[in-house]
Amino acid sequence: MSESDALAHYVESNRLEHFVNYELVGKSALRVQRWRDQWKLKRRKPRPDSPLSPPLQCVAYMKEIMSRHYLEGRYASGVRKVAWVTSGAPTEPLQALGYFLVYPENHAALCGVRRKAQSIAEEAEHAGWSRDICSYARTDIGAMLSGKTPAGRLPRPDMLVCCTNICQTVLHWYRVLADYFECPLVLIDTPFLYDEAHDHEVAYVKRQIEDMIHVAEEMAGTTLDQARFAEVMQNARRGAELWLEVLNRSQNRPAPMTAFDGFIHMGPIVDMRGEAVAVQYYERMLHELDARIARGIGAIKNERYRVLWDNLPIWFKIGEFSKSLGEHGVNVVASTYTYAWGELAPMIDPNNPLESMARVYLHPILNRSTGHKLEAMKKMVDEFQLDGVILHSDRSCKPYSLGQIDQRDRLSKTLGIPALLLEADHNDPRDYSNEQGANRLEAFIEMMEARG
Amino acid sequence: MLRAHRLHPIEIWGPPHIARHEGNRHFQTYACDIVVKAMAFIRSGGIDATRAILVPHTCDALQGMGSVLTDFFRPDQRVLTLYLPRGRRTSDRDFLRDELARLSKTLVQVSGHEPNATEWAEAFEAEDAADAALADLYRRRNALAISDRDFYTAVRSREFLTAEKFCEQVATLPAGQAPRGGVGLMISGIVADPFELFDQIEQMGAHVAGDDLACGYRRVYSASHEHDPLIRTANRLMSCPPDPTCGTPIHERVEALQTRMRALGAKGLLIYDPKFCEPELFDVPLLRKHLNEAGFPVLHVEYEMGEGLPHQTLSRIEAFVETLS
Repeated sequence: MSESDALAHYVESNRLEHFVNYELVGKSALRVQRWRDQWKLKRRKPRPDSPLSPPLQCVAYMKEIMSRHYLEGRYASGVRKVAWVTSGAPTEPLQALGYFLVYPENHAALCGVRRKAQSIAEEAEHAGWSRDICSYARTDIGAMLSGKTPAGRLPRPDMLVCCTNICQTVLHWYRVLADYFECPLVLIDTPFLYDEAHDHEVAYVKRQIEDMIHVAEEMAGTTLDQARFAEVMQNARRGAELWLEVLNRSQNRPAPMTAFDGFIHMGPIVDMRGEAVAVQYYERMLHELDARIARGIGAIKNERYRVLWDNLPIWFKIGEFSKSLGEHGVNVVASTYTYAWGELAPMIDPNNPLESMARVYLHPILNRSTGHKLEAMKKMVDEFQLDGVILHSDRSCKPYSLGQIDQRDRLSKTLGIPALLLEADHNDPRDYSNEQGANRLEAFIEMMEARG
Repeated sequence: MLRAHRLHPIEIWGPPHIARHEGNRHFQTYACDIVVKAMAFIRSGGIDATRAILVPHTCDALQGMGSVLTDFFRPDQRVLTLYLPRGRRTSDRDFLRDELARLSKTLVQVSGHEPNATEWAEAFEAEDAADAALADLYRRRNALAISDRDFYTAVRSREFLTAEKFCEQVATLPAGQAPRGGVGLMISGIVADPFELFDQIEQMGAHVAGDDLACGYRRVYSASHEHDPLIRTANRLMSCPPDPTCGTPIHERVEALQTRMRALGAKGLLIYDPKFCEPELFDVPLLRKHLNEAGFPVLHVEYEMGEGLPHQTLSRIEAFVETLS
């Protein structure tokens, strides 16, 4: 299609705003911004007083593609069908059908990192939602009610897809969204795996994915193109494989990145899983990490202790924790949370998409038993040669947190390594005590020092 | 299903006089009381006489409890789980049938007994009669000469009595003018604990006209007449009234509440939740909004199980009753 034809199409279908603000101006402006960021990063001199090495250069690309995603979202309504989806939802068919996907959890995390979450969550609290419900949900409900968001504007959903493989909270949260937006809510119910998946559980999830495809096709007024679907599945698998490789690079000593970097760089695998841009991004990131490893550059200048982080990050403390732990030579090199988007890569089978999707989306660590998570942590302690574990006891994420008391005890007793339960919340600063947190972290570091 | 396997179920809903701290050995302070106190009860030997613990999966807290019991605490009893689907679609029904089949196999191992067709039929006959008696109890409520406290004592005896004993008990409740006066309330939530709450509401000059409690009206199941016992069990479980833990859309729950409140003459809704109950907490603002629009005031109160009735809680309920009167 020529430029003039494309323009005519957009005008005819009342899509001029999308074309001008996103396709024409927005993308170019973000590219220029990325060049500027790259230039700044290259010229940035190492700070002798900082315990951290300079940030990864690829962060400029991530900023560009994530900003582009949110920018398109501002103008997506009426141009593409919009689905709001949970972070563990089987989105590949939706992508192949051309849906624009919004991940409310990622949006809430963005609010957390930008330290806007509390004020936005308070909008939901003023409307009656309790402070005892998930702070992601409160943040997004607050944004929905007030329009406040650092992303500019989120497109109104045509459809909601809620998959319970990360928690039951999302079901209750999405029921609220469905009531507010008066749009269809598609449920993918994934039975919790106390042990291995049974055949009837896989069949159940597969059937629901098939039903979701029918609903999405009907809404989009088109049918799923199998070639495009296969391409998305290939990208999903490759992207997850690369993400896993990225994370496993931290098995090197010194680790070229921290888990806190991982929390930031997981944006594309969550929001753009199945898109070529995510594959390209992680190829670039892997290349940069390999270069760091070859030159012996660690994310922490003086890496003395290597630690595992369990549970979601404390988004509003990422930078502070990275620096303060780094000052003690502590590198949080791995996390169970970031691993969740990579460890299932081998299960993705583009030749058997629906069956393999059913299995993949049943098996995230959050949908598996507390005993399984303990074994996963033990394996990581071994593979990453870890000296300790920080278990973030997250008030807002009960399925991830319940079981941590026993897990901590088992880690300490069976592996003989310090394991700390750190009380906080992933998005609400009111549920974290700076003084108490700092004291507990200091005690944890002393325990590692005592072990030598 | 349990009966057909010669097992008798007794439900645990935050037993009284059990200290929470034993449960806190496994769960954080922000876990719901029902789970923490159940764990404390199990640790204290409260269910030593039982053969198995069945943990239904209705929320993240019960999920955590089932998993911690299985993986870490490992009691002497067999720990069984049942995943209850969150939808009401054909796929959900078929899944539940298969899930019940899985559970049935485990029950055979626990009890050493595999029911035949006759035993299944007898079990359904008895339990359907008890279900019908419970539904009838709700229908006859205004024609029973018993207090709200006695009414809910009878309702909740279904949690531990055999079907036959439950039917016998409710049949003996005295007919007559209900000793209830004042304004009628609808009460919603998981469990109205302690029973003293009903006495206090009565003393405030109000009564409970109806409920939407997980251990009350949401247990009024419809009978199924399917031949296959597993499909029949699945149908029964999926026939319960609107329930957030089953994923009922909020507008359906609101409509059902409005209809029943009008029919029962309830003037307002008291939502009475144990702390940290996410399935209930998410619905509260929208229940309030939609019911207020329909002319029904709403009060939301959270409580800690086994802590008695704090003065502040009673004051809020009293003020609510006064506004309705």
